Amino acid sequence: MKRESIGELEELVLLTVGALINEAYAVAILDELHQQANRLIDVTAVHSVLRRLEKKGLVSSEMKGATQERGGRRKRYFLLTQAGRQVLEESMAVRMELYQKLPKLTFSVS
Amino acid sequence: MSQASTQGHLPPRWASRFLEWYCDPYLLEDLQGDLLEIFYRTTSDKGPRRASWQYTWLVLRSFRWSALRKNSKLKNNIIMNSGQHFKVAVRVLWRDKFNTMLNTLGLTIGIVCFVLMGLYVTQEVTFDHFHTKKDRIYRAWLLEDYGEGKIFFNSNTPVRFENLFEENFPEFEEVVQYHLRNFPVSRNQQDVISEPVAVISPEFFEVFDFDLIHGNVTEPLSGRYDLIISRAYAEKYFGDEDPIGKTLQLQFDEDVTPFTITAVLDDIPQSSSIKFDLAISNVLNRELMGERALTAWMMVGPETYVLMKDQTSIETVNAKSQDVVMSYLGEEMNRDEYNIGFQPLTDIHLNPEIPAGIAPVSNPVYVYVLGIIGLLVLFIACINYTTLSIGQSIKRSREVGMRKILGAAKRTLIFQYLSESVLVALVSMLVGGLLAVLLIPTFNRLTGTELVYVFEMWHLAIFFLIALCIGTLAGIYPAIILTSTKALAIMRSGSNSRGKHWVRKVMVTFQFVITVLLISSALIMQKQIRFLQDKDLGFEYQAFVSVPLFSSSESGRTTERIASARANGALLKPKIEAHPQVSSITMASHAFGTPGWAALSFTDDKGIFRTFSMLAVDAEYLSAFDIGIVEGRDFEKGSGLDERQSILLNETAVDYFGFENPIGKKLPGDNFGEHRIIGVVKDFHFSSLHQEIAPLVITQNVLPMFLGISDAEVKDSMIPKLLFKFTGSQLSQVQEILTEAWESTFPNRNLEYTFLDENVARQYENEARLNKLIGVATVISILIAAIGLLGLTVLVVNSREKEIGIRKVIGASPFQIFHLLARTFSWQLILGVVLSIPLTVWLMQQWLEDFAYRVGIGVDMFALSTFISFFVALVVIGFQAWKAAVVNPVKSLRTE
Repeated sequence: MKRESIGELEELVLLTVGALINEAYAVAILDELHQQANRLIDVTAVHSVLRRLEKKGLVSSEMKGATQERGGRRKRYFLLTQAGRQVLEESMAVRMELYQKLPKLTFSVS
Repeated sequence: MSQASTQGHLPPRWASRFLEWYCDPYLLEDLQGDLLEIFYRTTSDKGPRRASWQYTWLVLRSFRWSALRKNSKLKNNIIMNSGQHFKVAVRVLWRDKFNTMLNTLGLTIGIVCFVLMGLYVTQEVTFDHFHTKKDRIYRAWLLEDYGEGKIFFNSNTPVRFENLFEENFPEFEEVVQYHLRNFPVSRNQQDVISEPVAVISPEFFEVFDFDLIHGNVTEPLSGRYDLIISRAYAEKYFGDEDPIGKTLQLQFDEDVTPFTITAVLDDIPQSSSIKFDLAISNVLNRELMGERALTAWMMVGPETYVLMKDQTSIETVNAKSQDVVMSYLGEEMNRDEYNIGFQPLTDIHLNPEIPAGIAPVSNPVYVYVLGIIGLLVLFIACINYTTLSIGQSIKRSREVGMRKILGAAKRTLIFQYLSESVLVALVSMLVGGLLAVLLIPTFNRLTGTELVYVFEMWHLAIFFLIALCIGTLAGIYPAIILTSTKALAIMRSGSNSRGKHWVRKVMVTFQFVITVLLISSALIMQKQIRFLQDKDLGFEYQAFVSVPLFSSSESGRTTERIASARANGALLKPKIEAHPQVSSITMASHAFGTPGWAALSFTDDKGIFRTFSMLAVDAEYLSAFDIGIVEGRDFEKGSGLDERQSILLNETAVDYFGFENPIGKKLPGDNFGEHRIIGVVKDFHFSSLHQEIAPLVITQNVLPMFLGISDAEVKDSMIPKLLFKFTGSQLSQVQEILTEAWESTFPNRNLEYTFLDENVARQYENEARLNKLIGVATVISILIAAIGLLGLTVLVVNSREKEIGIRKVIGASPFQIFHLLARTFSWQLILGVVLSIPLTVWLMQQWLEDFAYRVGIGVDMFALSTFISFFVALVVIGFQAWKAAVVNPVKSLRTE
């Protein structure tokens, strides 16, 4: 199987899904991205990213938990799959490796 | 989040329905849930309005074209099947060629009319819109109001406004002036032609988007004697040569100055208020207008345009402009006497409330009227289609029944029938649009408009959309009627879908109302315009020629310039007079047919502010124009006393000044020079018939009048014109006589002349144009109505074929049959005529109010228009009805 490559926004959303554990649905992801990464994106963008990730098999989804504030509609909760976790770890490893090679900054700035 | 504050609000229903329609059901629930959650959150944070916008936006953002293809609801549906629908539509239309032809023809004609009117309206409405900074450009106006009716309102402004604005209003990024003046221009001192030359600020091109295409395009007027030339004029003067660096001679007064061409300007579009072919810098204002004009507050000339800085508002300027004026004029004037205001550039062309500056202003009412007429004609063309299709539905009900039995949904059927009308509309649009564009030159010639159409690709989309709308509009009603009948009922009884007959009748009547309205209006307007042109104006003007004279010096006092021009006239006069075919030769400061005669004002001895028009003439004037004397005497030729101080009044002036016995009296002002009233002339219409006759003073010597007045408004130049009557039959001889006399007297001057009757007729040009446009629309609407009527008659004849046959067998005469058929539409036509009368009367009264002298609307025009409509109807119906009436009944009854 070809290795899935993911984009920057996809990676961010994937991380957020992982971080929110059992609370990851579109609006929550949107808020988390806003608070943590200070990114303002609209919900349609989050939806299409989630759709793509699901198609690539990096997340799985499940409908549950109707609430009044959504007009009685259920939410689609996303969970990180094994493949998703692996993709994240690989990309983190690559980053760390490169980051280590960065010359250390000293406090010699006067 | 508080539930209470949000529960009352729901997102826009149509957006939700759209979402539900396109969205994959698998994805719908959570997406909609998310959108709702965000909607409620925004409602409580920022209010429901904001939330609705956001919701709609998100719904539209989520839409994917690809989603449609996968959508199971849409499979086997409209979009997928449109190819199929159109194929069937083509077959159906082909089968009934006669009806299809009538439908297409009617719609095509309607579309031609609509497109032409639409282009005209668009051009008028988007006048001056091509400047990218148009929203920030304003033109200054000046309103002087000294009370007691002493009001002077101008869009031409004093020269000093340019500096005044630059120094006092930091809100302006740029202030420029534009003036258009005539100067004799030549390339080599030989062929001198008087050309309009724009005098503009060097920064002019920073404000306006006129394209400099060649030469020094960044600072074209940096030199004092630099000249900008348009592409067309470059060709006119230099042919294929490169004009840059070449010179043209401009003549100011007697001085000929060479100007160097520094840049070529792309020709200015038709839809621009500012239009010129030659431009020089206004640093020359001192030479051109004299020292005084530079600092004067009351002398107006150029138009002043300002470019606002970004983020500034004209209101802030308006708020302080009076303070600025007072800081300069506080000692001489009261507050609010001298007012400066600003008008947006895009408002100039169609705002009649602010006086026209250099370019004429269009009448917005005419533009809207024409737009509405275009729409109405299109509308009756659509009605045509609708009524004909409803008629057809009788024939097609079986088809519908069959389709329904085979399982077609109502919606599918509606789309099937709509695709027919859309197809007809598309074909009509294609033909009509092309035809309209091809007809533009004819249209311009016929109506005197200056329509220019430049095609761009995106117009195709507009045309396509319009065709879709027309097709839907015309086809939706018959489609609904046709498909709403019960399948079983149709199949059982054959044809009974005539239930909605009244709708058809209303539509036909409405069509008649509009057609008759247009016919009557066109006739009444025709009558008024003929009245204007034939009215006895109180003077002779047929075959009169007007030759503007010139003063040897452009500067100096008005009186000196008039005297100089008069002396020039005296040189020319004997040479023209010698010709046997010339009679009644005279000189006057103004000629008939030219508006803006000198209007002089003074405050009389009772303290009343008086305004009168003044005409300076020579002793032969009254006899030349055959203007009658009511009281006293005419000027005596050769009398020095008359030349110096005698004046004549018209009857209106006698009433206006309140003279009982005017002869020998003086005007009721203190400061006038020595003068005496020697006679009263019969009133004559020296201004157009839009206005009442104004008080008029006729004099040979303007000086005593000028001494006594406080204000003067002179729109037409007071430099005398030589006027004479040409009694020969070949008008071309006028040219010969004039050229010969002129060139031997003034070899370096350009000869100009006009015919008075043409000038007089031109005063009603706008009205005549409107009349012609409405005439075109009328002819078109008659055609459309006739086509519609023809189609309907054929239908009725076809559906009553058997009935007619039986009647004939029983013994009805052909005439009785004809009568029977003609009666079908006659009451609708009568109703149409009756309903149109009050509408026409109301509309025409509005229009006629523009004229001080007007015709009564009268019964005759309505009688005529009724006759015309009945005649057309009878011809159309008659032919078909007659054919049906004389056919052998055996033929119609044998079948089956």
